[in-house]
Amino acid sequence: MNKYIAFIFSALFLFSQNAKAEVDATAAENFVKETTQKGIVEIINSNASQAERNARFEKLFNSALDLKFIGQFVLGRNWKTASAEQREKFIDIYRKLNVKTWSKRFDEFKGKEFIFKGTSPSSSANQIFVNSIVPMENAQPASVVWRVKEIDGKFKIVDIIIENVSLAITARNEYTAFIKKSPDGLNGLIADLEKKVAQE
Amino acid sequence: MLKRLIACVAVFSSVSLPAFAQEDDSWLETYNRNMFDFNMTVDKYVMKPVAKGYRAVTTQSVRNRITSAIDNTEEPATAINHLLQLQPKKNIKSIGRFLINTTLGLGGMFDVASGWGLTKEPTGFDETLAKYCVPDGPFVVVPLLGLYTPRDFTGYIADGFANPVYWGAINDKNYSAKISYGFAAVKAINSRERSLDLIDDLQKSSVDFYSTARSAYLQNRQKLNGLCGSASSAPSYDFDFDEEDY
Repeated sequence: MNKYIAFIFSALFLFSQNAKAEVDATAAENFVKETTQKGIVEIINSNASQAERNARFEKLFNSALDLKFIGQFVLGRNWKTASAEQREKFIDIYRKLNVKTWSKRFDEFKGKEFIFKGTSPSSSANQIFVNSIVPMENAQPASVVWRVKEIDGKFKIVDIIIENVSLAITARNEYTAFIKKSPDGLNGLIADLEKKVAQE
Repeated sequence: MLKRLIACVAVFSSVSLPAFAQEDDSWLETYNRNMFDFNMTVDKYVMKPVAKGYRAVTTQSVRNRITSAIDNTEEPATAINHLLQLQPKKNIKSIGRFLINTTLGLGGMFDVASGWGLTKEPTGFDETLAKYCVPDGPFVVVPLLGLYTPRDFTGYIADGFANPVYWGAINDKNYSAKISYGFAAVKAINSRERSLDLIDDLQKSSVDFYSTARSAYLQNRQKLNGLCGSASSAPSYDFDFDEEDY
């Protein structure tokens, strides 16, 4: 009897795992490959002006990442209590800060390449991890894992994990701590992020 | 000896939890934030300017050679730890790397061994303790040295004893003053130079740099905590990220 129950549970477990592993792994990996390739060809190795390259980066960033989804996760429980205006303001400023930060850092990938190492399943629905490494000079290769979500047949990046450090988790921890300390709560965070974006 | 060290670390470590998700105890967070601010002030007025100066007077190629030579001094500790982790092949590989790079690689400035297939497989006493399931303990900011957990700090000290540059200091106090302090200084400056741009960028985009540094440090350590036999094999960043949560 116990064996029978164990079998039923195992079957249910396997079924639920399969139900979550419905993302097309090859298509997800190809999406990340194409995105990184586009970045290398059209931005890093391009001879265009810095302003033009920044504009291209912003376009690629907005099309490849689901910033609204990431922003919701990053705010955590504060998202639930935020007003519609606060949500809109936060997503907008969070997008601007990320574009500003990453467009500067993107050139550091010059001469480097991503070597893709297959995918790993995620416990979240419609999501999958695409694994890659970046060979480094004078150091061990850096691990870069892309968390990809499939939405209506289209892929979007929802997190990037560099050397085991998730950018989404780091931002969530940082913003949660800030909101907890700030007398102005979420409005204080938005105001501080606006200052960061305005800084040269 | 190993058992005593493991027991010692275990006593000073709290029960291991998914640390990047948990809050510090309030007194510990107050201490950590104050010490973090102190370290950042020292960094701003001492370490960062010195690291910038070091960058100004050296080329990338020279810095790569220095990094390589410093890494080579850590190879004996790597070899010992592979042995403690019951990895005799890796132990022999590390010994081979140290002998080849110290001689043919001109004091470790050139990684000749990698070209011969003996690629670097870094490890340390922290990883050894993790494999023996010693808990990591709470996050603590150490004055002047930076971010640690008790297990990480124990690993840092233990690996230091295995570094041949410091061996001379055991018998000769003059050596201690001249060579080992000099080496420690070069190591610290070289390490700071390598993170100049990254730390600058993180500081510019962060609204609470302590929280950012703490979170990144603890997430990075999760791969070590996953080495213990009973730990979950799922990666630590596979958090629940479903839209329905919002």
